[in-house]
Amino acid sequence: MRPLYVRRTACVTTRAARVNGEEIPVVATSDPFLTALYRRLGIDYPRFFKMDGLSKLGFLASELLFWGDASRFLPREDCAVICFSRTSSLDTDRRYQASMRDYPSPSLFVYTLPNIVTAEIAIRNKLYGETSVYICETYNPHQIFRTIRNTFAHQPLRSALAGWTEYDGDTGEAFLMQIETQAASASEPLLSAGFLTTAKHNL
Amino acid sequence: MIPIGDNILSSLGFSTAENYRAVQSGRTGLCFYEAYPGISEPIVASCIDRTRLDDCFSAAGGNPLEYTPLERAALLSVTFAAEQAGIDLAAPEVLFVFSSTKGNIHLLEEGAEARSDSRLYLWHTAGRIARYFRNANEPVVVSNACISGACAQIAAMRELAAGRFTCAVVVGVDLLSRFILSGFLSLKALSPAPCRPFDSERNGLNLGEAASTIIYRKVREEDSPQGVSLVEGAIRNDANHISGPSRTGEGCFRALQAVLKDHSPDDLAFICAHATATAYNDRMETIALTRAGLHQKPVNGLKGYFGHTLGAAGILESILTIRALQDGVILPTFGFTRGDTDYPLAVTNRMGYTQKTCALKMLSGFGGCNAALLFRKITRHAS
Amino acid sequence: MDELILKLKREIIDVLNLEEVSPEDIATDAPLFGEGLGLDSIDALELIVLMEKNYGIKLKDPTQGRDLFKSIRVMAEYIRENRTK
Repeated sequence: MRPLYVRRTACVTTRAARVNGEEIPVVATSDPFLTALYRRLGIDYPRFFKMDGLSKLGFLASELLFWGDASRFLPREDCAVICFSRTSSLDTDRRYQASMRDYPSPSLFVYTLPNIVTAEIAIRNKLYGETSVYICETYNPHQIFRTIRNTFAHQPLRSALAGWTEYDGDTGEAFLMQIETQAASASEPLLSAGFLTTAKHNL
Repeated sequence: MIPIGDNILSSLGFSTAENYRAVQSGRTGLCFYEAYPGISEPIVASCIDRTRLDDCFSAAGGNPLEYTPLERAALLSVTFAAEQAGIDLAAPEVLFVFSSTKGNIHLLEEGAEARSDSRLYLWHTAGRIARYFRNANEPVVVSNACISGACAQIAAMRELAAGRFTCAVVVGVDLLSRFILSGFLSLKALSPAPCRPFDSERNGLNLGEAASTIIYRKVREEDSPQGVSLVEGAIRNDANHISGPSRTGEGCFRALQAVLKDHSPDDLAFICAHATATAYNDRMETIALTRAGLHQKPVNGLKGYFGHTLGAAGILESILTIRALQDGVILPTFGFTRGDTDYPLAVTNRMGYTQKTCALKMLSGFGGCNAALLFRKITRHAS
Repeated sequence: MDELILKLKREIIDVLNLEEVSPEDIATDAPLFGEGLGLDSIDALELIVLMEKNYGIKLKDPTQGRDLFKSIRVMAEYIRENRTK
């Protein structure tokens, strides 16, 4: 088994954003926090406004991980996107269900699939690699660690964005890690599930 | 890893044998519904006989009142597959892997109370299935839209290779609801007539209900005298659009390349495509197969028999692919008459026979995800 | 007609979540799809819903949209002639 390293972690909630545990200062505006963060980061990607809550969270966390990476838009197949979630797309499911009373909305229906968040990240960064979503009752570091290792064990991956994406309508959180097979200067080895427990706890 | 038990529970029957026979004799489970409850237009779909489901579930010792119809279908499918496998599903070395696109989503319609109903969560449904069989391991739940059934088999393959488990119960299920039907209608993806995979006159898909199960056991091929094993699996993304298939078949082509990296295309007996019968999906797969140099291989699609069974499709269609490969037959593509002329593909519309040893299963879904699985027949002289 | 055109632009911005677009940014005679607004196939389906929901126009065949969504003006003219609400 090749060793894995975590280069960077990013966490975006509906109230705050952090990279490697450090908070990104965002000046409060009349916009919702995620929109304010989008503007603060100077992103020019109008698709953002079409996304549902789960996708916005995951998208912004991935933006923070790729921040300043000059090669980020080069198409590549050796980077996977792996998300874990408890509530899946249930918030959008409810909104689509409400639209059914009137005229069912095709754009809401598409977001009733929880893997759309992985697609949004793949589309933005031209990632042709594996995209996978797993649903689990809780943030289970053992299962997440095992699944990440299994994903790397069976294909020539060099990196992955992996983590917890959760949105229930009021609160939400995307905690993503940039995982690589090569050690970088500030990266930490991903040796056990314990890392995942500590990393999330420290946020 | 090899299947030691399987089951298909669909409109065409409640066992793999029943379904396999129906497909071979050219029967379809698709029916015309003039007025499906809550749906404003007539639809064509394939539905599980609910009375038979409840009767069989009761006969198998289950209490229908304790489970939703979706759970009953999944539980019954696993029960039948386990009878064939003859293993103890409660054993700690057995892992459940669950595949469904929308699970018990119909409960949302039952009012505000359902807003906090835990049965809406896929992990909850998977947990109930594992606990019914007294299995204490936390099930793996994959949720990658329409390729989930392939992802579940890939997850099982990886978990078995990692060593902690020796058997994986891979179960997929989806039933129809207003939620799902109205959604596909809003996408203008449904055909008002029986679907016609790969046909030049195809104009959309039909939806179908199914539960299907494969129980895989980890074995060294040389220890297994016969059977078909799942040897490769890959998932790739189009990185193009959240719902529309790539015009270059990008992710699909890359998934095909990945599973054939160490295998010769000369051994391919046939390819079972996703073949939903929408204009764009079938075109996308045709382009991907052409790019991969596989356009002269026999290709079939099974949605003319079952409709698109969503989270069950990857498992159901893999079971029939495995069966056909084992018997050296190539199943016909129900609904296909004549293909697109600009991209010729060798789509089968009658039973074929083959001596070759490998078969491919392809799937594609929303979110630009694509999967390919490679199955290989274990031959006696393998060493 | 100008009023309908402005109303339509506002509705499209709203229903397609074109957050950073204002009605003045949408040229009345420019193609809606292709370059410019960056609309896609799901947006086209949402426009079909909009036609039915706001103007009572039911498009039988989704390919009808291709001709109809050529520009805001074409859409507005079709609405004026065919609206039932």
